[in-house]
Amino acid sequence: MPVDRERLLTVLERAHTGPVCETYEWDTRVIPGTLRSILKKYELEKTCDPVNPINMNDELADRFFQAGLEAAEQIGLLCTDTHRVIKFSREELLQGLEAAPAEFTVGENGQEVTFKHRNLNDPTEPVWIAPLSIAVTEDVFVPLVEGIAREEVVDCIEGPSLETVYGHKVRAGSPFELMVGKYQAELNYEALRRAGRLGMPMYVVGTSPTHYGVLGGYGIPGGFKPGRDIVLLLSPVEMKTTYELLHRLVQVYNCGDGLVYGGSWSMIGGYAGGPEGATLSCIACTILLYTAYQAVNGASFPYDLKYMGNCGRKALWALSMVFQALSRNTHICANSVLNQTSGPVTDVLLYESAVGMMTLAVSGATSCTGTRTAGGRFTNYITPLEVRFAGEVFKRCAGMSRERANEIANQLLPRYEDRLMEKPAGKSFLECYDLKTLQPSDEWRKLYETIKEECIKAGMPLA
Amino acid sequence: MDKEELLARLKQKFFDESYEDEIVPVAQQIVEAGIDVLEAIHAASEAIRQVGDAYEAGDLYLPDLMIAGEKMKRCMDVFRPHLKAGESGAKGGKVVLGTVSGDIHDIGKNLVGTMLTVGGYELIDLGVDVPPLEFVSAARDKGAQVVALSALMTASLPYQQEVIDLLKEVGLREKVFVIVGGGPVTAEFARRIGADGWAENAAGALKLVDRILSGGGKPAQTFLAIG
Repeated sequence: MPVDRERLLTVLERAHTGPVCETYEWDTRVIPGTLRSILKKYELEKTCDPVNPINMNDELADRFFQAGLEAAEQIGLLCTDTHRVIKFSREELLQGLEAAPAEFTVGENGQEVTFKHRNLNDPTEPVWIAPLSIAVTEDVFVPLVEGIAREEVVDCIEGPSLETVYGHKVRAGSPFELMVGKYQAELNYEALRRAGRLGMPMYVVGTSPTHYGVLGGYGIPGGFKPGRDIVLLLSPVEMKTTYELLHRLVQVYNCGDGLVYGGSWSMIGGYAGGPEGATLSCIACTILLYTAYQAVNGASFPYDLKYMGNCGRKALWALSMVFQALSRNTHICANSVLNQTSGPVTDVLLYESAVGMMTLAVSGATSCTGTRTAGGRFTNYITPLEVRFAGEVFKRCAGMSRERANEIANQLLPRYEDRLMEKPAGKSFLECYDLKTLQPSDEWRKLYETIKEECIKAGMPLA
Repeated sequence: MDKEELLARLKQKFFDESYEDEIVPVAQQIVEAGIDVLEAIHAASEAIRQVGDAYEAGDLYLPDLMIAGEKMKRCMDVFRPHLKAGESGAKGGKVVLGTVSGDIHDIGKNLVGTMLTVGGYELIDLGVDVPPLEFVSAARDKGAQVVALSALMTASLPYQQEVIDLLKEVGLREKVFVIVGGGPVTAEFARRIGADGWAENAAGALKLVDRILSGGGKPAQTFLAIG
């Protein structure tokens, strides 16, 4: 689905002609004030139900969606380079959602992956994109990606993120970042070739925080490929855009046949307020991103500022509500990110993954990107085994009822929720994997088997 | 209006939905009534502490904290000229704060900024995507005791080190403490790049600045981590 020029130009023009707003005013008045008044209008305040972390109230999800549509219309997207608000009418927002595909295919050479809009309790297998852009050293990058690509449950590659390029630190916004765009593509090709999965679709460019990675690595000979790979546009909170993101969007347009991922997040306790405010913000932001970026995949997802993850009760409730609202009221292929707090070789990481992925599977998410092992805090703290486990849960829980999922969540949550603040780091890839055989240590494999068995006993269809 | 009423009104201003500037007339009334400004500063600090407690309890959110921090700044602008010699009403430190180059994430930085303001420090907030030289220039021009560097993106981490290197090159490193934080910034990384301190969160950042400025140590000589 190529980027439409007229829609693109409208957005670029509005970034220079929309109403003026300073960032401080946006963060402290516009966002919290508007969200608060809309929550009140739609009687959504204090609806969070931590006892049933997976929402089962369809009417409430629909009300959240209508409130989100109104919030998107009232608020718009702030361009922080021009301090202008890119506003859309309700009609434009609905057209933006309508224009997004309900189904699309990416990848090549037998590694094609089809994304489909999913309904609640939908047995359609969701798409697993791995891993998140966790920092790794250059020596680890290829074996790690190879190990992850060897996991059958993995459909697409996004991360990890390179710390260096040919031994030099990658510095955001510098020519090193331009260089790492193509370098990451080359390393990914090598890893996928070794894994026998060349042609797998990729999300780009994981290492690169600004537009330079995309300019340097996408749509150029030997780089990431338009039509096969998807360009990441990750908007800063809340409901903001930047020239950097719009540069990427124009680059996708220039390359033709490009596909865009529009993503963002909202923090419980942040600018949007509590879990209801974050939920509302995520829905509004998703509608705005599909309209402004012409996204084919993505969404804004909530997480909790207290422990910087989204596998605790309030965040799970918000996560379920966002994706249920989007699933029931649009045909988009919504993607979430699951943020775990804990590292490899910890039971907390596996419990977080189990409950979080199950929540997304039964709430209508088309796809998910992860794992964000150890919250992305430590270099080389990501392994293929937790990626496998999360993918297994995500795919095999598709079709489960929300009632059943709630029962399972309430069995598993007490086993880890008190430890979310502790965030055990666990062990690095180098400490718990054999880099030659790409097999996990006995300790890590046994822990995986133990927790998987617990999940099966709790009722997950993982056997 | 008597003293108690005025101080109560001042405290109330931290909790209502008024704009930041609306606290200024109340502060001016306190000065005009001849009330000891130190007493007023203590009342404002108490209100700010309550805002912080409500945030910790999940009853208030980040914008409430930021607005309260701005209101405190406005109050101090009114009260400071009326402090007697030897009274500071604050801890007396200046902190230059920002998110380093290539990184536009501001939530962590804003939380730290608010905590430092609430904690009585004068804050020079440079914003996000700040080049190394700007930190150095601000520290020099404003006479800051601390430079606080935030980063969330891995590819922005090298700039924390570049600020430290630049401070050394211009001869300022031994005059300014450097503290670092952010999602992927670990205590080990902070120590490795030669920072003076690291904190895991905003509350920890305030403790860190309190301790390095009151500890009698000198910049570039010790390392403190608040986890």
